[in-house]
Amino acid sequence: MSRRRVLGAGALAALVATTASALALAAPGGDGRAGARPLVLAAASLAEVLPRITSEASYSFGSSNSLAEQIRRGAPFDVYFSASPLYTQALHREGLARKPVAFATNSLVVIVPRSNPAKIKTIFDLARRPKLKLVVAGPKVPIGLYTREVLKRLGLLRVLKKTVSLEPDVKGIVGKVALGQADAGFVYLTDVAPVATRVRALRVPERAQPTVVYELAIATKPNDVEGAQELVIAVLGPDGRRQLRAARFGLP
Amino acid sequence: MRSSSFAAALVAAAALSLVFLLIPIVAIFVELSPGELADGLTSQVARDALRVTAETNLAALALIVLFGTPTAYLLATRSFRGRALLVTLVELPLVLPPAVAGIGLLAAFGRLGLLGGTLEALGIEIAFTKLAVVLAVTYVASPFYVRTAIAAFEAVDPDLVAASRTLGAGPARTFGRVALPLAAGGLGAGLALAFARGLGEFGATIMFAGSFQGVTQTLSLAVYQEFDVDFDLALAIGALLVLASALILFAAKLIPAWKRSNSTSITAFAPSGSR
Repeated sequence: MSRRRVLGAGALAALVATTASALALAAPGGDGRAGARPLVLAAASLAEVLPRITSEASYSFGSSNSLAEQIRRGAPFDVYFSASPLYTQALHREGLARKPVAFATNSLVVIVPRSNPAKIKTIFDLARRPKLKLVVAGPKVPIGLYTREVLKRLGLLRVLKKTVSLEPDVKGIVGKVALGQADAGFVYLTDVAPVATRVRALRVPERAQPTVVYELAIATKPNDVEGAQELVIAVLGPDGRRQLRAARFGLP
Repeated sequence: MRSSSFAAALVAAAALSLVFLLIPIVAIFVELSPGELADGLTSQVARDALRVTAETNLAALALIVLFGTPTAYLLATRSFRGRALLVTLVELPLVLPPAVAGIGLLAAFGRLGLLGGTLEALGIEIAFTKLAVVLAVTYVASPFYVRTAIAAFEAVDPDLVAASRTLGAGPARTFGRVALPLAAGGLGAGLALAFARGLGEFGATIMFAGSFQGVTQTLSLAVYQEFDVDFDLALAIGALLVLASALILFAAKLIPAWKRSNSTSITAFAPSGSR
């Protein structure tokens, strides 16, 4: 065999081998998805607590509505955790998810940076600071939805005019306030603990609290049925409930 | 026959690469009817995003040219200890994850950042303003210009520069009348590359500047925000970005061709000694 032919055949073999190994990453159980762990799409506000309940899953965190839209566009998943029943129920109606189960509740707080540049003492101060830098989420993101509900109940909707950024999810709001870029933002009570040294939380009056219910739903055709069921049992079971309570979630 | 398997390997690899690169782009246009494209691009969200993108990118490009050109000229024409280190520094944003750039900008220019207090005392407001977008775009896009500009200045024949000096022209005049015109093709190409990168900038912007329609929401941020609100609108803006980026990238290849015929945008990444 001539050297050139060897070289050519070698190059071809290398191409085939590389392509094959790349495709192997996508195969079920292949290295592309860390073994046979269930694939979990979950609301950003669950990013701390879920991995504590079980590390036996591959997590992708984002805003519940973005994740629901990804599922509609064909994203694979085994279990979906939403910060609002709106999206789990819609996916169930559309035949993409099994019957949703409520597993946690939450409430809203206002956070301000420790240095509190706008000198916000209560939620009503938000309306009294003309140059306030408020960060909220879009009206389709659950936290954005709940924020508007709170402001409406308190007759403070005009505060939204002071919005300086529409964040893609609740973690975006937490980050902007914790780093002091923004003066204030609405987040879930459970988002405060991880940044407790950087922010101060102000309560939202009981009468204005929206009903924040978290629901989970298993995919209609999960890739990993057993893994998905084990995960759901872990979240709904005593350990899951203890972890949720420790992270200051409420239980339904 | 002898080289047929090698040729087959080349063609197979090239075909696969091209198909892989083209499929997502073709898919955007397949999913989008011309009517939806027109509706999307005339919407308020798209028009605001286009305006914000144009304003911030023009300002960023002006800053990049104003400060990047002298920097590149200095690095291209002087040899000194630590030059390699400085060039690395200039190139760093090229390979830095945009999220890291965003965190860095926050730590430096954020209200509680390193320079936050000074800027506030000077009455300069950056948080959630267009200035924040300009800084983010300038930071991530400048290496594309500076890197190409260094190569362009290095390619200027040193004999011509020496001749200009012996004929009595000062260093400033030599720069303006000899080096700058000779490097103009490369500088133009670098500017086009920086513009293409700035147009697509997302990570550093959303972390540092936030996203607000008509103020800080650029085209790339609008695509992300509209993804779960109005998918057709996201596709339409995506299509616009594809067309604009392709046009700019193609222009980057044509500009140096005015001067030399064999130049490609690869020069942006070529080792600095290459001519």
